Amino acid sequence: MTGCAHTGKSVSPALMEEQTFQDQETPVENSPKQQVDMTVDEKMSDDELFLLEDEEEAVAAISDPLHGWNRAMFKFNDRFYFLVAKPVTDGYSEVVHKDLRTAINNFFLNVSMPIRFVNSLLQFKLKPAGTELLRFGINSTLGVFGLADIAKSHYKLESSDEDFGQTLGTYKLGHGAYFILPFLGPSSIRDSVGLFGDLFLYPIGYIKPQELSFGIYTYESMNSFSLNVNDYSILKEAAIDPYTAVRDAYFQSRKAKIAE
Amino acid sequence: MFIICIMLIPVKTYAGAATDTVTSHVDRVMNVLKGNASEESKKADIRKIAGTMFDFTAMAKATLGINWNKFNSDQQQEFILLLRSMLENAYISKILDYSDEKAVYINERSLSDTRVEVQSKLVTRSADIPIDYRMVKTEEQWKVYDVIIEGVSLIKNYRTQFREILSTQSPEELLQIMRKKG
Repeated sequence: MTGCAHTGKSVSPALMEEQTFQDQETPVENSPKQQVDMTVDEKMSDDELFLLEDEEEAVAAISDPLHGWNRAMFKFNDRFYFLVAKPVTDGYSEVVHKDLRTAINNFFLNVSMPIRFVNSLLQFKLKPAGTELLRFGINSTLGVFGLADIAKSHYKLESSDEDFGQTLGTYKLGHGAYFILPFLGPSSIRDSVGLFGDLFLYPIGYIKPQELSFGIYTYESMNSFSLNVNDYSILKEAAIDPYTAVRDAYFQSRKAKIAE
Repeated sequence: MFIICIMLIPVKTYAGAATDTVTSHVDRVMNVLKGNASEESKKADIRKIAGTMFDFTAMAKATLGINWNKFNSDQQQEFILLLRSMLENAYISKILDYSDEKAVYINERSLSDTRVEVQSKLVTRSADIPIDYRMVKTEEQWKVYDVIIEGVSLIKNYRTQFREILSTQSPEELLQIMRKKG
């Protein structure tokens, strides 16, 4: 974008100027504070400030100290996806109709209510916490064990996707580092801790024997995976550098969820 | 950032002109998807709609960021074309799978004098997928320069990738990678 205003290409002049400006304001040697001061001085528009922030975040997100581990895990998960997870899930999807898989997904979503309820409370989101309880009551009864999401379809009560990683994020705790988990995929140090914390709020985790609990969890994962099994292959196909694309998508999506 | 967003809302409204533009494009795509034409002719039709819906030059600049200047004008032109064909190849065949989904438009938010964000939701049987279109006004027309799906900006995602590649490789090498992909 930078300097394109001088190359004489026929593009929206307004866009060129704004983006040119924004990018020139992003040299690494300036501290963020200085940049903001400067931009205010030079009457940078709100929109340019937006983009400036975007740029700073993207630069910050590149920190990937564990990239040795991460690249190895990325390769491992990629192979697991194409050799095992996707073929098995595709087979499953052929036998089980999408409506049934959605119902099963609703059931497990209903069962994992405590995770969303407690994390909503921990984030002082009282109304969403109440909504979770209400949804659980409605869906467990009218929705027949949670198989139908009546609370959403009939009462417009939407579930809020909260977890302990997000809770820690709202307490201003950073990601620590990007950290890819085997099988489970992209995460961070903070979000992995969150995942572990959420296990205590996950009723399936308390089922005995352990093998049964793990088996149900694996089935639940496969069922929910079957509803968006192609996300990874689409992202990978559209990417120039799949490793970086997945990492960036992860950080962007977590940031958006925490901001909600 | 969130506070800035809120402050921006009352600054200027466009009476939904951008939303109307997105709506008409998306409706046209949905009609193509519902039609009985062959897959190839559907793809060609969607390509045509994409040509009027997106500002590929703005997208190219946004995805390169500061690196745009490292490209000479021939390289810039080629980059625009390669990015366009890459996006089309990656996404057009994918949206052919969508036909029973419904798009709902929620809000239109002004980002600046010339830009807005149209917030929508794609309602599918299993989930609602939030999709935001960032649009820029050029020559009295609104065109999309970024699509944000579930909080992930397409432009930002590519910008991160290109930045990483260009930190060790030349513009020519990046173009070579893209040519191979196309």
